[in-house]
Amino acid sequence: MTAVLSEEGAGASPAPSGGRRSGSDRPARLPRPGRAGLLPYALLVPALVALGVGLGYPLVRLGVMSTQEFGLPQQFGAPAPFVGGENFRSIFGDPYFWDVLRRSLVFCAVSVVLTLVLGTLLALLLARLGTVMRTGLSVALLLAWATPALTATIVWQWIFDARYGVVNWLLTRLGGDFQGHSWLSQPLSFFFVGTLVVVWMGVPFVAFTLYAGMTQIPGEVMEAAAIDGAGGWARFRDVTWPALKPIFVVLAALSTLWDLRVFTQIYVLQQAGGITRETNTLGVYAYRTSAGNDFGRGAAVALVMVGITLLATLFHLRQMFSQEEV
Amino acid sequence: MRTTKVAAITLAAVLALAACGGDDGGDNASLDAPGKDTKATLRVWLNGPDTPEEMVTLAKSEFAKQYPDVTVKVERQEWDGIVDRLTNVLPTKDSPDIVEMGNTQAQAFEAAGALVDLSDAKKDLGGDDLVDSLVEAGTHDGQFYGVPYYGGARIVVYRKDLFDKSGLKVPTTMEEFVAAGKKLKADNKDVPNFSGIYFPGRNWQATLSFIWDAGGDIAVSKDGKWVGELASDKSVKGLETVQDIMENANAAPADTDDADDYLDFCNGEVGMLMGPGWKMGQITGKDGCPGKYDKVLGAFPLPGSDGGVAPSFLGGSNLGISAKSKNPGLALAFLELLTGDTYQTKFAENGLIPVRKSLLGEVKGDEAAQAQAEAAKVTRFVPSSESWAKVESGTVLHDMGAAISNGADVKKEATRADSAIVGILNGS
Repeated sequence: MTAVLSEEGAGASPAPSGGRRSGSDRPARLPRPGRAGLLPYALLVPALVALGVGLGYPLVRLGVMSTQEFGLPQQFGAPAPFVGGENFRSIFGDPYFWDVLRRSLVFCAVSVVLTLVLGTLLALLLARLGTVMRTGLSVALLLAWATPALTATIVWQWIFDARYGVVNWLLTRLGGDFQGHSWLSQPLSFFFVGTLVVVWMGVPFVAFTLYAGMTQIPGEVMEAAAIDGAGGWARFRDVTWPALKPIFVVLAALSTLWDLRVFTQIYVLQQAGGITRETNTLGVYAYRTSAGNDFGRGAAVALVMVGITLLATLFHLRQMFSQEEV
Repeated sequence: MRTTKVAAITLAAVLALAACGGDDGGDNASLDAPGKDTKATLRVWLNGPDTPEEMVTLAKSEFAKQYPDVTVKVERQEWDGIVDRLTNVLPTKDSPDIVEMGNTQAQAFEAAGALVDLSDAKKDLGGDDLVDSLVEAGTHDGQFYGVPYYGGARIVVYRKDLFDKSGLKVPTTMEEFVAAGKKLKADNKDVPNFSGIYFPGRNWQATLSFIWDAGGDIAVSKDGKWVGELASDKSVKGLETVQDIMENANAAPADTDDADDYLDFCNGEVGMLMGPGWKMGQITGKDGCPGKYDKVLGAFPLPGSDGGVAPSFLGGSNLGISAKSKNPGLALAFLELLTGDTYQTKFAENGLIPVRKSLLGEVKGDEAAQAQAEAAKVTRFVPSSESWAKVESGTVLHDMGAAISNGADVKKEATRADSAIVGILNGS
């Protein structure tokens, strides 16, 4: 790709000077920028086709479906009637959808903040630890990261199991009355467990990325700051934070995307307990609407979700670019 | 870069192929029984542990006598999530020939045109001898698609030793039943997590018995529209009994179902539990605790407020032939075997209700089988609608039960469930 771009750049640079030349050689030169302009696009085609088929087709299908009445009969070949914006109207007119949206956003915000704060603290710890301890911590973080979401959620669900979970056993031992206490049955403690799983899985990536970033901060700068009398907090605020700000922005963007469309963790916990109606988040709600043989409405919910994630992405991209300009 | 692109292109090609692959039309092969020398593979989906392995073996060996060159492949599926899996597999050419559906789920697939119309073959499958309420689940718009496979009524399984210790007799009215549950819980309060009556919030099938016993219902059809009945005074009275049990006789979590209740029973934490007829077998079987409670296990049908038997939810399942099946004739021959006397008698022995009326009187066996035969006399069913599956997948009744178990206001929860159910059934 780089080669192509620089070739185009080279081809384009004489153009301003071309004005000084006689008009006669213009026609001869005309095709050149054209050809050079087409080649990069031609090279883009395979990737675009792959993207188009892999990403575009499902998205278009989703878009089409969201304007149709698409239920079980349609799944078996019956024609799908076009209903225009009816699916969207019914979603936006449903107060329950707004409940779900609010719940998802709050859950996402809490999870992202916790993930970033804990990730930063762990990264600082990694930077301070000796080799042996650092390796140990890294391995532990890697294991948490490598655990598939489904496995991790089931393990956590068992830890918090009402009757046989180790948490209840421990809390009862310590004098509390947690015999048979169901953590999932109340929405607040349900999301406590849910957040725990999501944050637990999100922290390692943040910690590693930030740690990698910290190793790039020259030791002399830190040393100089320390000599000037800056304490730990001041060094973080005035040296580490500004240096790593672009990384923070990217991490915040990624975490927001991940936590907004979280599915497995919530779905599995819902299967294990809790009141589904009070714990649905956007992703799970879209799935449940579809699984209720209302694929049209499900598609509409999914599209709304795509829209929100796109907005979040754009916001973060803007942040990122304005960072680079500074 | 290069390998990524190659990978991406390959992936794209695979996706494109996969996208093309799904849409083959099924061939409308006839339902006539094929010749004896037919060579084919018949794929059958059976769900959950309900059909014991020995019965599968029996069916295979019997079928091999008719069609020696046909391989019957039974693929076991989990009940959990079966509707999603059927929705995805039935329209494809990879569809199994025969599928099992819960009797509350069958209508949705019948209405969608996913199954072969078996109206003409109904006589060979048992005809008028089939249990009516199960035929109803298999019928849509007057056409017959879902062949009744087995039925199950709910019974109460209890510990005789604990009853003796507390000086209790088998309850004969609803009032006695609730009182017995509370007494058991009080008398065994030194056992952690002990339930006199084990009643987790999501056990909606058990909840229905109490609603029906009080004279209520889920929803009734009036002038072609469904009207919610859960918030009616009668239904609420039944639900209040449920809440009373959940709060005062029960220690099961509010937000679980009855799938693992046998494990808690085996832990010695349960006096009585409500479940399908095969629950007793599950407790004494290899997944439960063989030998531990075998001698002290008893069963009785849930008593009603009037001293009779309380209406119980008719569970069961239906079998259908996929519209995409390449061998519907062969599949039909296999279904005839499964609804036949030999096979159905086996179901009775395994704690399920056979689908032939002529066999119902034949049900012998243990206390559970007898209790179930009693309970089966008064069975009721969920609203007969193709949209009912959405109520189940939308966990409306699960949520209501969990909330009631958490101490929520019964009338409020019932009203909320009513509007959700009516909304789904009337298709708004």
